[in-house]
Amino acid sequence: MTDSKQATGVAPRSFNWKPLVTNQSSILVFVIFVLAAVFTVYSGGKFWDIAVFNNILTDWGLVVLLAVGQTFVVISGGIDLSVGSTVSLSGVVAGVVMVNWMHLDLSVSNEAAIAPLLLALLICVLTGIAVGLVNAFLVNTVNIVPFIATLATLGGAAGLAIIWSGGMPLQGPNFYGLVNPIVLGGVSLSPFSFIVLVSTITVLIAGLFLHRARFGLYTYAIGSNAFAAKAAGINVKRHLTWVYAVSGALSGLAGMYAYTRLGSGSPSSGAGFELQAIAAVVIGGTSLMGGSGKMVGTLLGAFLLYEVQSGLLMVGMDPNWKQVIVAFMIAGAVGVQGFNFSQRRK
Amino acid sequence: MKRSVRSLAVLGAVAAVALTITGCASSTILTDTATTEKQLTIAFVMGAESDPFFQAMKVGAEEEAAAQNVKLVWQGDPSHYDVATEVPIVESVIASKPDGLVLIPTDPDGLQASSDKAVAAGIVVANVDTHTTDTSKAVIFITGDNADGGAKAADAIAAKIGYKDGESYDVVVGLTSATATTNVGRLDGFKAQVAAKYPGIKIQDVAYSASNPQTANSNVSNWLTKYPNLKGIFAIDGTNASGAAAALQAKNLVGKIALVGYDAYPANVALIKAGVFTALIAQDPAEEARQAIKAIVNKIRNNEDPAAHDVVIPNVTLDANTSAADLAKYTYVAN
Repeated sequence: MTDSKQATGVAPRSFNWKPLVTNQSSILVFVIFVLAAVFTVYSGGKFWDIAVFNNILTDWGLVVLLAVGQTFVVISGGIDLSVGSTVSLSGVVAGVVMVNWMHLDLSVSNEAAIAPLLLALLICVLTGIAVGLVNAFLVNTVNIVPFIATLATLGGAAGLAIIWSGGMPLQGPNFYGLVNPIVLGGVSLSPFSFIVLVSTITVLIAGLFLHRARFGLYTYAIGSNAFAAKAAGINVKRHLTWVYAVSGALSGLAGMYAYTRLGSGSPSSGAGFELQAIAAVVIGGTSLMGGSGKMVGTLLGAFLLYEVQSGLLMVGMDPNWKQVIVAFMIAGAVGVQGFNFSQRRK
Repeated sequence: MKRSVRSLAVLGAVAAVALTITGCASSTILTDTATTEKQLTIAFVMGAESDPFFQAMKVGAEEEAAAQNVKLVWQGDPSHYDVATEVPIVESVIASKPDGLVLIPTDPDGLQASSDKAVAAGIVVANVDTHTTDTSKAVIFITGDNADGGAKAADAIAAKIGYKDGESYDVVVGLTSATATTNVGRLDGFKAQVAAKYPGIKIQDVAYSASNPQTANSNVSNWLTKYPNLKGIFAIDGTNASGAAAALQAKNLVGKIALVGYDAYPANVALIKAGVFTALIAQDPAEEARQAIKAIVNKIRNNEDPAAHDVVIPNVTLDANTSAADLAKYTYVAN
């Protein structure tokens, strides 16, 4: 009991708005709703439609998988530029196996395609893990900084995707129903399609690993101070190997997502997505310096990117404005991070 | 002493024989060199190398290079069709001093300075598919007939939707880039044909995919929501066509919306029969590459300019009525 409370009885408690307005996730939620309102008004109401939300989530579903893996890597103090190329490469490898080796084509469709698609999923994830392990080797053993190491694998994976596909999309078995809203007992679960559901569950599991498991604790520790983490008994190199392998595996899963959406393994399906993933992570509040960040921020950051993309098209604005808006969002996110950091130091 | 003199004599004789043989060989080599042409180095620089159109072009380029004793240097960003990524590649190619440069500019103004710099450095330049703003210093410019391709696309869409004067039809156009001359040419041809013959067709929107089929897929998905009465889609290149086709299949709109694509990727040609594509406008990228290399080689070895500076290679419309033989003939070959 403080003196003021003894003197006055019960001290009036005012609501503390400060954490709410400086919390990155709160700001993102606010921005998402404001933009939704703006796009709805300027599109004559067309933006506020479950079908639009379905489109946004379908776009979000791929990038969020990459962004989740990127979150682990960035929090650990690294970066992974190879994720987009890994999407392309994993889809191509799956396409090569199904189309060139097993001679399966688009005539294998709907439920008949499930078995080959499960095989394709395994191939995609294993391909992604392979790329992740190459990244880990370059970073841990060859001691190349992550930016350069993953830049090398970006080029290598992109090149291999073109070489192995012959430069053409490899069209194989597919089940397009996986891309559409799930219908259970006659009830549509729109906007959730099967692939979006897989992405959502993956984000939730990843969030638990980051915030509730030892894996996440070690990741934060290494990102904060790798030397201290090692002194505390953490096997830094082994843990970083796991981190890059997870990022690679999620990129492979995203490659399968892209394959399902396009019906083919395309050598350009992942082009540019590494920057989308990094933008989502930064907008979500994860610091590129390492040691801090939250999975919910990544989830919201990725959503915001595609809300803007869809919104601009629905409103009829030049889609190149998306890059300008994203630039402002990144600057704003880094500004908020900087403000929060300075407040903690006081 | 006698042994040493003998040894010296033997050594001298061996040396003389060796020199004689060497001299003969050298003169033989010189003779051979004099009768064979010097191998030329020709660099080929494009936008997104992963684009199957360019991969099909590479097939023709490699064939012609082998036939003409040319070392082919194939360069381009793996996946970004962007002037920002192409310029540094062109600059480093120029620094390597090739004899010729086949340039596929991603932007007509953005690559002009690099093209002029190559010419100033004594490199013979050809433009293929797209061109810089000023092609006067290039030995040749070869492209498909983009305006004709756009017009053919308009005809195919109008036929599919059963166009009637007095009615209104919503269509959209998916492009890769706002400035690539191929895209601009095809869109202009499409608009001109629509204005001339199909005034009821309304082009409601255009969007850009930067050669990424996922982005094209996303654009089409959003359009299908925004324009519930959409009747036609003109996907102005192969990656847009791939993305659009996937979107229509996912939404169960096959055959309900006229989809006309560009470039005969094998995967997309297969979808003509499945009814996904109303038509594909096919170019001949391999022939474009062959003619470019021929023109450069002729200029360097024989100092001859091509008969025409601007060469337009006709397109072919592939649809459900195209014979299997023609479909096979015009389908792009994978590298």
